[in-house]
Amino acid sequence: MNIYKREIKDKLKSTIVWSISIFALIMLFMSIFPVFSRDATTLKLMMDNYPEEMLKAFGMSGVDLGSVAGYFTMTLLFTQICLAIQASNYGFSILSLEERELTADFLLTKPVTRTKIFFSKFAAAFTALTITNVATWGSTYLSIEMFRNGKDYDIDIFIKMMATIVLFQLFFLGVGMVISMLVKKVKSVLTFSMSLSFGMYILSAFGSIIGEDTLGYITPFKYFEPNTLIINGAYDRTMIYVCITVIVVSLLASYILYNKRNIHSAN
Amino acid sequence: MKIIETTNLTKFYGKNKGIEDVSLSINEGEIFGFIGPNGAGKSTTIRLLLSLIYPTSGKATIFGKNCFKYGHEIRNDIGYLPSEVFYYDKMRVKELLKYSASFYKGDHSKRIIELADIMELDLNRKIDELSYGNKKKVGIVQGLLHQPKLIILDEPTSGLDPLMQQKFFDLILEENKKGATVFFSSHILGEVQKLCNRVAIIREGHIVKIEDIKTLRNDNYKKVSIRTSNHNQKVFAIEGISNIEQVDGEINFFFNGDINVLLSLITKHKVNDVIIEEPTLEEIFMHYYK
Amino acid sequence: MNIILRELRASIKSMAIWCGVFTVLIFMYMSEFSAYANNEEMLAVLDGMPEAMLEAFQMNSFNLTTLTGFYGILFTYFILMLSIHAILKGNSIISKEERDRTVEFTLVLPIKRSKVVIGKLIAVIINCIIIDVFLYGIILFSIQSYLPEENFMEFLLLLFASTFIMQMLFLSLGIMFGCAMKQYKRSGYLGISIILISYVLSIVSGLSKKLEFLKYITPFKFFDTAVIKNEMALDWKYILISFTIIVICLTIGLITYKKRDLYI
Repeated sequence: MNIYKREIKDKLKSTIVWSISIFALIMLFMSIFPVFSRDATTLKLMMDNYPEEMLKAFGMSGVDLGSVAGYFTMTLLFTQICLAIQASNYGFSILSLEERELTADFLLTKPVTRTKIFFSKFAAAFTALTITNVATWGSTYLSIEMFRNGKDYDIDIFIKMMATIVLFQLFFLGVGMVISMLVKKVKSVLTFSMSLSFGMYILSAFGSIIGEDTLGYITPFKYFEPNTLIINGAYDRTMIYVCITVIVVSLLASYILYNKRNIHSAN
Repeated sequence: MKIIETTNLTKFYGKNKGIEDVSLSINEGEIFGFIGPNGAGKSTTIRLLLSLIYPTSGKATIFGKNCFKYGHEIRNDIGYLPSEVFYYDKMRVKELLKYSASFYKGDHSKRIIELADIMELDLNRKIDELSYGNKKKVGIVQGLLHQPKLIILDEPTSGLDPLMQQKFFDLILEENKKGATVFFSSHILGEVQKLCNRVAIIREGHIVKIEDIKTLRNDNYKKVSIRTSNHNQKVFAIEGISNIEQVDGEINFFFNGDINVLLSLITKHKVNDVIIEEPTLEEIFMHYYK
Repeated sequence: MNIILRELRASIKSMAIWCGVFTVLIFMYMSEFSAYANNEEMLAVLDGMPEAMLEAFQMNSFNLTTLTGFYGILFTYFILMLSIHAILKGNSIISKEERDRTVEFTLVLPIKRSKVVIGKLIAVIINCIIIDVFLYGIILFSIQSYLPEENFMEFLLLLFASTFIMQMLFLSLGIMFGCAMKQYKRSGYLGISIILISYVLSIVSGLSKKLEFLKYITPFKFFDTAVIKNEMALDWKYILISFTIIVICLTIGLITYKKRDLYI
């Protein structure tokens, strides 16, 4: 419990900052919705004129940007970027913290197993991410009620969209952890986490523009692309399985590697 | 029961040797010195004992238990003071010590205050504002607060002024009287001689010698240098002299034997100056443990 | 000179990674492009996309079936990546001395602190130029089998010019944060926040006419690739703004670093 408490305390401030940032981001995007939806009413008609297959190539078919859910997909994309950065920050930092701050000689000479340290750290990071997750749900609900402009929306779709956040976070947390165990030293957490989160975003963004599909299996931005959900009413099953597999494998691997790791002295 | 026992403990970093075939056996209540020059493998051995790193081959047990399997159980009764201390910057001294104590059973708050008093450590300061010496004091309190049965010290005195060093040695001796075993790694022969019962000498990853401190004292090597106009060094060819060399008007050698014999020999000759001193550790290694 | 060399040597690995990433990206995407090139059907799809959506993602006025259109869009992402690289690099090249506890070494050398900073600055600029030149070479190589449109080469050079200005802009912001902020960890996060906020604002500003004024705030709108394509020139106004920001940031960085207490 003591390690868990310390780790939580360590992350408290960043969790609050991220939650507030995401709240501001959602509010900013959704506050434009009333203006946007007026411009966009003609959009749907325009889009209906084009063959389904072609629009699908752009992952946009069936998405009515004038609807609350359709517009929200764009908001969610940017929220996902923030969530990805936060989760990979934690992923890269938690297991490498002692070696970076040279405090390994302190924590690892205490009478605790590495297993316990691992789980305490993981649990603390997950708790922090869940707090941000809850804040995202709250901000979404609030922003929609404030700015939906009298339009109706399907609550089911929203719940499905939001429910995947936890998997999305775990993906970046897990992958971050395993990479931090595979490299010799994580000197700068930010460099690693920005590469992972933005790399995944750019892969997915450019992939959808030019219709590249195979790479979709690498990036969670594709697994949980809200457009797919709105079009098909469900996510791609295979991608969800891929995501869960990646999470399980990376957590397991980082657990094993952490237990075996040689912790070298500071100097 | 042996407190620490290692058999053929070996650690390679890739191709580079950390230590090889280190076999030690330390009894309860001993103050065991572990001495060697920088880079000899002292820290590697200690980090293995604490299972911070894992061996390439060989075995190590503490309190009769395998270090690498039961590390966490063993560490309940180990107090460790690293050579360089780094702590979570954001914390205050008090918070850090409390956090440290939370890992061990029982209430240690009294002992923390007691130790901080002895070491003259202000508990309310922030860690990142502390000087090197003060951080070291935090390390000492942190390592001793749970009354460990085995105290592992890795070059503990650097950064402490002589007064504090003395206080620290007194503390260690006191703990030892209460029954604690001490594993004391250092590259300063003097402090090891002062404190320890037995000494292991490590060099380039190998244990060169394990000796009783009494024998080491009998092996009372002196470094002698004599300035004289008599340039014939053969005059000093008596038993116990080794590594004799002559540079300009100076004759240097090591002497191990009855000091009176040497003194009476010197007085027979006309000398300008005589220096008799403790050889440094490096010199001992250079000349005797090749 | 020795500082520049040391810093360059230290960043060889990161440069190699960046060059590798760009090589992979370009070849991956060019293999996709082969399906698009001069494909009439695709053109029709693009024309039918909702204006607001395209606007938001800066895809309007680009024709994906031409090299110009393709690279026009690719570059909006390349600029984003290189800006992140520049701000992180600018920040870390200064603050890593504190992070790795090497200040005591570097700053007791018999040189002025301002010289240290300038040496490091030059090293990062060279770093950026090497990546840019490499990227340029890879692109030239990748388009070998296509017949570029008339203005393409000129357009590409303009893209690189704008990329370089953006890199310098974010680099000087990064250096300023690294120099001025006492806690090296915070300066990195500040840099990232600036990037994120600028990027989000650049997207938001495209959503509605009323928000267009935002383009003066976010560097990502300074040199809109779509505008570059239409005008075939960089806007002098924004070059001037960027230049001013760069000079101010570097001056602040140099002055504060000179006066700052450094700890390990």
